Amino acid sequence: MSSSDPRNFPHSEPRSLLAGVLAVLVHVLFIAFLIFGVSWKDHPPEGMVVDIWTELPKPIQAPPKQSKPVQEPVKPEPEPSKPEPVKPEPPKPEPPKPEPVKPAPPKAAVTPPVKKPDIAMKEKPEPVKEKPDLEAQKKKEQEQERIKEQERLKELEKQKELEKKKELEKKKELEKQKELEKQKELEKQKELAKQKEVEKQKALEKQKELQKQKEQELAAQRQREQEAKAQREAEAQRAAQQAAAKNQVTNEIGKYKALILAKIRSRIVMPPDLPGNPVAEFSVTLLPGGDILDVKLSKSSGHSSFDSAVERAIFLSKPLPLPPDPGLFNEFRNLNIKVHYHE
Amino acid sequence: MSTTVTQDMSFLHLITSASVLVQLVMLILMLISLSSWWFIFRKLFVIRYEIKKTDDFEDIFWRGVDLNALHQRIISSRYESGSLERIFAAGFGEFTKHPAGTDLEAVMESTRRAMRATYQREMDYLESHLSFLATVGSVSPYIGLFGTVWGIMNSFRSLSSVTQATIAHVAPGIAEALIATAMGLFAAIPAVVAYNRYASRTDQLATRFESFMEELSNVLQRRAAE
Repeated sequence: MSSSDPRNFPHSEPRSLLAGVLAVLVHVLFIAFLIFGVSWKDHPPEGMVVDIWTELPKPIQAPPKQSKPVQEPVKPEPEPSKPEPVKPEPPKPEPPKPEPVKPAPPKAAVTPPVKKPDIAMKEKPEPVKEKPDLEAQKKKEQEQERIKEQERLKELEKQKELEKKKELEKKKELEKQKELEKQKELEKQKELAKQKEVEKQKALEKQKELQKQKEQELAAQRQREQEAKAQREAEAQRAAQQAAAKNQVTNEIGKYKALILAKIRSRIVMPPDLPGNPVAEFSVTLLPGGDILDVKLSKSSGHSSFDSAVERAIFLSKPLPLPPDPGLFNEFRNLNIKVHYHE
Repeated sequence: MSTTVTQDMSFLHLITSASVLVQLVMLILMLISLSSWWFIFRKLFVIRYEIKKTDDFEDIFWRGVDLNALHQRIISSRYESGSLERIFAAGFGEFTKHPAGTDLEAVMESTRRAMRATYQREMDYLESHLSFLATVGSVSPYIGLFGTVWGIMNSFRSLSSVTQATIAHVAPGIAEALIATAMGLFAAIPAVVAYNRYASRTDQLATRFESFMEELSNVLQRRAAE
């Protein structure tokens, strides 16, 4: 019985949890769209900005022209820098020069041992000269002496030659040394000159940089001055325009007030024979378009016939002439109209 | 209701700077919208499932299977049964309960009554929450409108202290008030669409159930007469 009872059939609702998740997802997407998708107006457009830009087209065009010369001096900078890498190249050949200089001192050291053998040669012949012999031997001795003398002479000559050679060698060495010294000095001078040149170039570069900076500063100053001038001019123009506009506005207001008064006057049916020159003052409330909302007698002329004539005339003269510029209507909303009996 | 010219008009700022009542209205609308979408998805799944089950059952039934076996199968797998299967199970169960010699008219009458009862229960289940969707669709715009009217009233009341009125004084108040209407419409439009769609789907299902009930009674009557 219970198995076939229809109420025992439970409704297995499928995926109700998934439905909840989907519902939340829809809302999250919708809110995300509202927050990020719709561009809500964060900043109201500033009308003043538009005015400034329309008045300053020329000074805006001018700055780029000035900025170009500023950029041009910047470009030459790499050019002076190119010679710089060239300079280090000449010093490279320099190191090889001192190398040949070093081998020179060993040559001078080799020469002194040559002198010593020369001295030994001198000492050996001397003991030979001192031997005393007979007369027979005298000739021989004489001959020998001659020979010795000749030998001596020869030796002397040799010695002289040697000495000369030595001297020459010494001279040569001295000359070599001098040359070396000269070379060294020359090299030093060259190095000094190069250093000086490098320093000069550096100084020149510094000067150039300073000049560039000065030029840039000058250009910037010029720009600033020109901008300031342009601003002043624009301000002056604006002031002039505003003044002109104000004048125009006052002129317009005056003109239309006169027109209104003239129109009212033309509609007045003047009561005859009033004494003196009575004045009636009315305060009139206008609607845009020239319709009359309300007319109040603010100051009576003392003659009710004149007052009512003016009031009638005011109503008759509607629509009153108003300036076409709706911005000026505020000046006409509440009008004070003074009407004289005699003009 | 500040009157500065530069206003933060971001969405969140508009909501947080709204008056308490407007915020309350927005909160209510948010909850209504959430639950209505939940029901929209739930009903979507349920109705889809029922339509599929009904199609399958009609397929099986009209292929001419043994009704006893079909009944036994439905009873054993009652947790996955569809509405039409339950109607069949109720009707066939009632039909077989009667002993063999009972009056045919009375048997058919009680069978029809059993099927009718189950049909009512099933339709009640299928149409549940549809009335909620209908309520959301018709009421939530008014709730949003109420919030908007209240917000605009406040924003105009703040104008009374200002000598020279500009649109900038009223605009943020109106904007934040109009968010309430927007939320009301956001809740209402899908609810109305879903209600109409699901109502027509359940109507279709109801027609199918009713015609099946008539056909099943015919089948059972013929079977009893044999």
